[in-house]
Parts: sequence; structure tokens; C-alpha cells
Amino acid sequence: MTRHKSRAMVGAGALAVASALVLSGCGGSGFDDSEGGATEGLTSSDDSLTILIAASGDAEATAVEETVAAWSEESGVEASVEVASDLNQQLAQGFAAGSPPDLFYLSSDAIAGYADNGSLKAYGDELSNKDDFYPALVENFTYDDEFYCAPKDFSTLGLVINTDLWEAAGLTDADIPTTWDELADVSTTLTTDGQVGLAFGAEYQRVGAFMAQAGGALVDGDTVVADSAENVEALEYVKENLSAGNFAYAADIGAGWGGEAFGKGLAAMVIEGNWIGGAMTADFPDVNYQVAELPAGPSGQGTLQYTNCWGMAADSPNQEASLDLVEYLTAADQQLAFSEAFGPMPSVQSAADAWTEANPEDAAFLSGADYAQFLPTQAGTADVVADFNAQLEALKTGDPETILQSVQSNLEATVG
Amino acid sequence: MPNTVTTPRAGSRKSSGIRRGETAAGWLFTAPVILILGLFLFVPVLMAIWVSVSDWQGRGSPLSGEVGFVGLDNYAAVTSGGGLAERNFGLSLRNNAWYVALVVPLQTALSLFLAVLVNRAILRGRGFFRTAFYFPSVTSSVAITILWLFLFSTTGVVNSFLGWFGISGPNWFNDPSQIFHNALATIGITGAPEALTGGGPLGVSWYEWLGGPSVAMFAFMLMAIFTTSGTFMLLFIAALQNVGAELGEAGVMDGASGWQRFWHITLPQLRPTLFTVLTLGLIGCWQVFEQIYTGTQGGPAKTTLTPAYLSYQSAFVGQEWGEGSAIAFILFLIIIAFTVLQRWVLRERPVSKRRARQYEIRETAR
Amino acid sequence: MSEVIPAQAKVRQVDPARPARRRRPWASRRAIGQPLLYAMLVSLAIVYIFPFLVQLATSVKTDAEAADSALSLVPQTFTFAAYEALFGRSDYPIWFANSAIVTVCVTLGRVFFASLAGYALARLDFRGRGVIFALVVGVMAVPAVVLLIPKFLVLNQIGMYDSYAGMILPLLVDAAGVFIMKNFFESIPVSVEEQARIDGAGTFRVFWSIVLPMARPALITIVILSFQGSWNELSHFIVSTQSPELTTLTKGVASLASGQLSQGTQYPLKLAAAAIMTIPVAVLFFIFQKRIMNNTEGAVKG
Repeated sequence: MTRHKSRAMVGAGALAVASALVLSGCGGSGFDDSEGGATEGLTSSDDSLTILIAASGDAEATAVEETVAAWSEESGVEASVEVASDLNQQLAQGFAAGSPPDLFYLSSDAIAGYADNGSLKAYGDELSNKDDFYPALVENFTYDDEFYCAPKDFSTLGLVINTDLWEAAGLTDADIPTTWDELADVSTTLTTDGQVGLAFGAEYQRVGAFMAQAGGALVDGDTVVADSAENVEALEYVKENLSAGNFAYAADIGAGWGGEAFGKGLAAMVIEGNWIGGAMTADFPDVNYQVAELPAGPSGQGTLQYTNCWGMAADSPNQEASLDLVEYLTAADQQLAFSEAFGPMPSVQSAADAWTEANPEDAAFLSGADYAQFLPTQAGTADVVADFNAQLEALKTGDPETILQSVQSNLEATVG
Repeated sequence: MPNTVTTPRAGSRKSSGIRRGETAAGWLFTAPVILILGLFLFVPVLMAIWVSVSDWQGRGSPLSGEVGFVGLDNYAAVTSGGGLAERNFGLSLRNNAWYVALVVPLQTALSLFLAVLVNRAILRGRGFFRTAFYFPSVTSSVAITILWLFLFSTTGVVNSFLGWFGISGPNWFNDPSQIFHNALATIGITGAPEALTGGGPLGVSWYEWLGGPSVAMFAFMLMAIFTTSGTFMLLFIAALQNVGAELGEAGVMDGASGWQRFWHITLPQLRPTLFTVLTLGLIGCWQVFEQIYTGTQGGPAKTTLTPAYLSYQSAFVGQEWGEGSAIAFILFLIIIAFTVLQRWVLRERPVSKRRARQYEIRETAR
Repeated sequence: MSEVIPAQAKVRQVDPARPARRRRPWASRRAIGQPLLYAMLVSLAIVYIFPFLVQLATSVKTDAEAADSALSLVPQTFTFAAYEALFGRSDYPIWFANSAIVTVCVTLGRVFFASLAGYALARLDFRGRGVIFALVVGVMAVPAVVLLIPKFLVLNQIGMYDSYAGMILPLLVDAAGVFIMKNFFESIPVSVEEQARIDGAGTFRVFWSIVLPMARPALITIVILSFQGSWNELSHFIVSTQSPELTTLTKGVASLASGQLSQGTQYPLKLAAAAIMTIPVAVLFFIFQKRIMNNTEGAVKG
């Protein structure tokens, strides 16, 4: 390299550094660095609202869009609903860009991460209908003693049974399984060529129900109990039946998720939540089914409970309006309407009786609320669950104890 | 880069007065390129270096005053520390290393094979076959991935085809088992010796390192070979047409068989092209991203996770921007190291260098 | 991966085949191998073409049939339901329009900027030329994947995130194009320009009205590469946009494949989406087929 060239090189480097400095000078994010999460006053302005949702299907998207439009009419605040193609990624980009959506679906496992970096506004205590939510749900969205956001609805897992296949196999209502042994028996009866007895997704979000029935969990308060004997027993049971072929993962029988396996008749029973109702109505209207409570395991009944909340961005310029919209969306009659449209259960206690009356066939889901477990919500646990799911996919050939030990050590590293 | 920077005659006519004002024009002509490359390639790299040594959490600007310098913590997190981040990185490296180790030689061999075949076909057929083999290369990776997900689904084309021969095919994209483990299982060896299941680098046991790619990754490999062999075939055809026919003649006179002729006379002449194909293949195979994003998102059981996808996922989904950037830079270093290593292994002997030079001159003279 | 394109075009018509070569002393021996050769070629060609035929056939099947009889090329019940769903009940037309907008802008920009810079690097003698050339070459060595996160950060910082500007500007220049143009201009004899210069034409004038028209073959090469590159681009759009109204085909169809827009297998729908997005590049490919084939002559050496 000649001297002349290297001098020029230095010049180019300086140019780049200078432009980087200029860039940092113009800092493209226009927000004040107030601590998000502090429950001081809410911002208020004339800005329109953007609501980002991840819809389970067209039914949900349409229902939310129509409801938000109705609220817009009433309040005079413009609001647009966006259906995310990848909710997590779009949220992350929005926060980093300083232009997040004002309101968004937020899963309980994502709260910790966003709360830690100050992206969220903890508005739970401002809600006028705060005391109407199920206490367990409030607990689920409480982080560092702050009630962050309003649960928008919830679901539990139940045993969904294809009644035609059930009858064809000569089974009656008396045969609905209430124990693990009975579940193994009926699923074997229902397994034929091209059809398995029971299918579910290869994930803790389904398999965890068996762990709950055995009396296990991933975390107990702040103690990690992933490698307990109860959990091993649950995974052994699942592994045994997967190997026998009367249980199968949805992906292994060529379906995207349990609902699809069920709708296509690839599985006679699936473990799914309330959301399956909407999918069946939309995609597989001809399939007759009923919902039962999941069978009891060695330590009694157990299921998992799912809920999302309406997250509010700390950087949102119009939080007053957002709060008003959340109250509108979580009101009992509104939640009952959503429930009718796409199936989740209302997160407010005042809607419980009306819901049971309207959905007698889904009563099993609501019964599950009494003994349902949550997924862990501590920061970083989502990654551990994802890793656990990766290992569960290979459960058929894996060793439950080894799998749970790795989950234990991963959880200890994040929770401990 | 044998292309010399100076052009003939440049500088020799400075005094002629005809070319005054060239400096201004030169900078003006190249300004858009400099600006855009600088702003969207050079500055980003500097910024990513900063993020990879900072504790930026993904809210607001990484250049704001509240973001702290954490040294090499992010690099340490993905390469040591025994956490999940390390294991994920280890798994992604394992997956991608097998991918490179198998795809690069296979696609090179196949494209050379196709080139030789096409080159020997009669004129009319040649165009058709070239087109057929090259067509997959023009489709986008998104479109081809969707096609692949269909072809390799449980009841898909591939398994239906295998069914004719009484083979029940695997559930390709949902099968996390590693192919070497499966191969051992067919001869009755399952499980691993104690020595291998213990520790291993980056939180991945030796047994997992040595098991080869998973069945799902294998389907992606076939896809890579399918989509790249056409492009590389064209390069080889072009090179074959330039191999001196007279050399072939000489070989025949000596009674060399076709295979020997190919091995000893044609192949050495293809060295520059071979080098190009291997380099492009290596660089491409180390950054598998779009197929994974479209198809499996790293599943099943993380066996199609690649460093490129992990870097994206850590940052945009997991909010670990620092770790994501660190992974990207480690990947960058890996690619550079491999390219340099390969240049050294395939370095040209002086003779062929001169040859290449002659060949170039001949080419440009036309 | 499919963007791996040799960054050096030899823009000339190859005399294809050189028939003289066919009549070799060993031609007789080769004749024995001919049937075998063609058997191999034909079976390989089937392997390469069949997937695309199946794709087209499946896109007009019903969902059930797509899952049951994947191999058949003739649908039992012929239905355009997938196409109707794409164009009637999805954002597909918006995605298509966005891809078209970006592709047109990027292609025009690349052609113009690459030829300008290529000309300057090949013909103009100015201080700093070596550095600029080194920058261009250096940039070619940076893998695109490494830039995912930082590109987002920079776009974000300068306020271009989630806008057409952010989608298009970073793609406007690609080093390979500059490289191709530089090589081409170096192959044009200087004498062509000398006369014009003596007549007092300015640099831009010489470039615009004398050199550029001669560079048509190289320009077509750039058009092909840019069109294909930007039409098939995915990762840049992932990190530069989030709005549904800015979603391009690649990003939209990817989310249809397995993202949150994906519901169940729906193979006919997905394959139809993939087939339509392949049409423009396929058309371009068949129009310029000869040129593409010949352009891949000669390659980057390291």
C-alpha cells in the first residue's frame, strides 16, 4: 500500500466515523427518557392509536377490528388495528424504533423482558374494572409487584373428542377417560390405520398438562422444580404412549397443530384450548365434537391456563385513550361477544355465569380454571421453555430424566 | 483480485489538457455509490460493533447516553458461561458446519457433472438441458422453500415416490434425528458411549456434534444443492468451452482414457473456476437464513438453527441485541477464516497463474 | 443462495458449441455412450422440472387432494379456489404491488449508479480512485446476514425505518454491479472517447451520449441481476419494515408459509402464492435466457 493510498484510507475512515457521530447527534427516536413502568400520570394527546394483534384466525381479527371501530365512533379517537405477521419481531422493532404500537397483545412470558427495559407502561392500577378480573390472572400479569396490564381473556386446555369416531369405535359417554390408564386405553381403541387416538403439539404448552396432573411444575414460586420425580413420571407416561403409537405429536402426523389434526380426522382426540372452537367452525364445520375435562393424573386433576393481556407502550403519546379502549375491550359484555366470535373465556368474573349459560358444551374449559397452572413468567423463562420444547420433540427417543435435568439447570440460571 | 486497479493509459495523458477536471467528475460519479455503501454498509458495521460490546436492550437509540459499555460480555455469553445462549450457539454452529461440509462438495461435484454432460450433448439439446438445470436458480428462496415444505411433507411427493419402492419415508421437516445416528441404528447401534455423551465444546456433547445433520437439515441441504447447481454448472460450462481442445487431442494420441483425460488434463484447467465455485459455495452456505426463516424457524428440536438465524432471533425476538450482534461478528470471522484457508489450500501454482493471465487476456481481447 | 451470481460479465456472443469440436477421432467411441448420456440427462432434467410441474398442478387441486395424491399432475377436481383466495381475500395484491415498486426503483437506480461509478473507476483518472475501488471490493466481502441487525439500527436512527425509502435506498447500489460495469468499460477502446473529448465534450456528455449506448449488453446484465436480486430479496425487508401495507411478496409469502398468517397446511394456497411470485423472474429469465447463459462466462477470481 503506497503512502498516498493509506492516507486516503485514513480519510475514508474519518469520514465514516464523522458520519456515525452525526447520526448519533440526530438520534432518530423522539421520546423522553422517562422511566416506563412508573405509574405516574398517563400521556394524553390527539394522536390516533395503533393496535397490534396476533390473530388466531380471521374470526378474531374481524371481531377485534369491528369492536375497535365501534369504540372509535364513540370516543372520537381514531384507531387502527394491525394483524401482525410476526408479533414478537414487530414489537421488538417498534420498541427499538421508538414508535411501538400503542396497544398490543402481550403474552405473560414476554412481560418480564419488556418490563425490564422499560418498554411497558404499568397501567393495571388505573383500571376502573381492576377488581373484576380473576385474581389468578392479575397475578399472572404482576411483575415486580406492579400490575402491568389487563388480561384480555383466558383459555384452559381440555380433552376434545371427535364424537363420530368415538361412537364408531363403540365407545359411550361412560368411557370418557378420567385417569391416565383410561386415557391410554381409549386412545388405543381409537387408533387405527391413518388415525391416532390422541394428538397434541410437541410442546410444554400441552405436555405440561400431564406434568400438572402428576403434581409437578417447572417453578414453584421462585424455586425451580423442573427435575422432580413427578415430572419424570409424567414424561415417562407420555413417552410410553408416543412409542406405542396411540399418542402422537401433531407434526408427526402431518398437521400444523392439534386442531388441524383433529379437523382432518388424523386424530380422534386432541388436547387443545378454547381456541379450537373458532377453528373448527371456520375450517372444519362438519366435524362433530365434544369437550371433556382432562383426565386426572396420579396427583389429581391438572391443566394449563393461557392468557394474554393488552400491553401498553411506555412511549405511547396517548395512553389516556388507550386505557379507555382497554376498559371498553375488557368489559363483560364485550368479552362475551369476543368469546362468541372466537372462543376464549372472559377474564372478568362478572361474565362467568353468562358465559357458562351461553356455552354449555364448553363448560369443561371453565371448570379447568379451578386447578389450572400458569407457565413461568420470570425473565428468560420463555427461552428455556423453547429449549424444553425442542427437546420434547425428540421425547420418543429421549430420556425424560436427562431432558428435565437440562431444563432444571437452564431455569436455575435464569430464575435463580 | 488479479484485476489491477490501474487501467492502461491512465495517468499518461494528464498533461494533455483533455482530461482536466477529472477529479471532480470522478468523485461526483462515484458519490452515490460511496454514500449508499458508506451509510448502509460501513456505518452499520461500526454500529453493530458498538452494540455487540454494549448492554443496549432494544429500547430507543443504542447511541443514547444510558447505554453502557460491557466489553466482551456478549461474546462471552455465547461462547462460554454454560448457559442456554452458549448451547444455542453451539447447536447452530454444529448444524451449519455439517451443512457446509456436505453441501459445498456435493453441489460442486454435481454442477461439474451436469456441466460435463450438457457440454457433450448435441447443440439443440444443450440449450434445453441448460435451461432445465438453471431454472431453479432464478426462483426466490421463499418460493422454493414453500415448494420444498410441500415436496417433503408427510404425504408429500418424495414420500409417495419412496412408497413405490416400499420405503416409508421420514417426516422430513419434523424429524430432528441425526442421520449418522440413524445410520448406526439400522445396524443395531443405538445410544452413545459414555465418553461421547459427556462434555463437549459450547455446551453440545460430542455425540451431538458427530451425529451429522438432522433429517430436517438434510432436506434443506438437498434444496441448496437443487437451487445452486444450475448457476455453478453455467460457470463450469463456460470454463469447459475454453479448455483447449488441442489438449484433448494430445491426450487421445497418448491413448489416455476419457476419465484420465478429464482427471489429468481438463480438471487442472478448471482450477480457477473450481476455486470460484467453492468460494461462492462456502460464503453462501455459512449464511443460511431465508430458508430457515420461511420454513422451520430453527425447528425441529433446534436442528435447523443456524448462526445467521440465531443472530436474528436473539436480537429481534429475544431482545438480546448485544448477543445477536456478537453472533453475527463471530459468523463474519468464520466466513473470512474459511475463505482465507481455502485460498491457501487451492493457491495457484505459478504456471497456472500465467495460464490464467493468458486466458484472461485472450478473453478480453475478443 | 440463488443470488450467487458471478460478478463479472463477459458481454459478448459466444459462438455456441463450436461444431468443429464434434468431429473428433474418438467420436466413434463417444457414440456408444450417447444413449447413456441422454438417459442420464433426461432423468436429471425430470428431477429438476418435476417439482415445478407438481407445484402448478397442486395449486389447482383441493386441499384434501393435495394431501392425498401429491404425485399426480392431473387434478381430479380442478379448482381455482387458491387463486381466488389470494387475490380476493388476502393482501397478496398489495404485496405484489410493493415488490413491483421496489424492484423497478432498485433496478433503475442500480443501472444508473453502477454505470456512473463503473465508468469513473474504469476511465477517469483521479485521486482516491484506488480507495473507492477498495471500498467496493471490501463491501462485497461483507456477508449480508451480518448486516441484518445494524441495517435496522441505522435505518431506525435516520428515521427511514418502515418507509419505502428505507426499503429502496440501501438496495440502490450493489458492488457487483459496479464491478461488472467497470470491467465492461475497460474493454471498450479509449479511442472512441478521445475524438469527443477533443471536440470539447464534457465528461458527463461523453459518458451519457457516447459510452453508455455502447454498454447496452452490460446494462441488460445489470437489469437482470438487479431485477432478480430485488424481487427475491427477503432479509432486508424483514429488518426495514413492519407495516402490512409495506409488506413485499417475499415477506408476505414467508409469513403465509409458517408465520402467523399460516393456518394449517393449505398447500394449494401456499404453492399458488409461490408460483405467482416466481412468474416475473421466470418471464425475465426466458426473455433474456441466452444472455444470462452467456454472461455467466468467466467469473470472479477470488
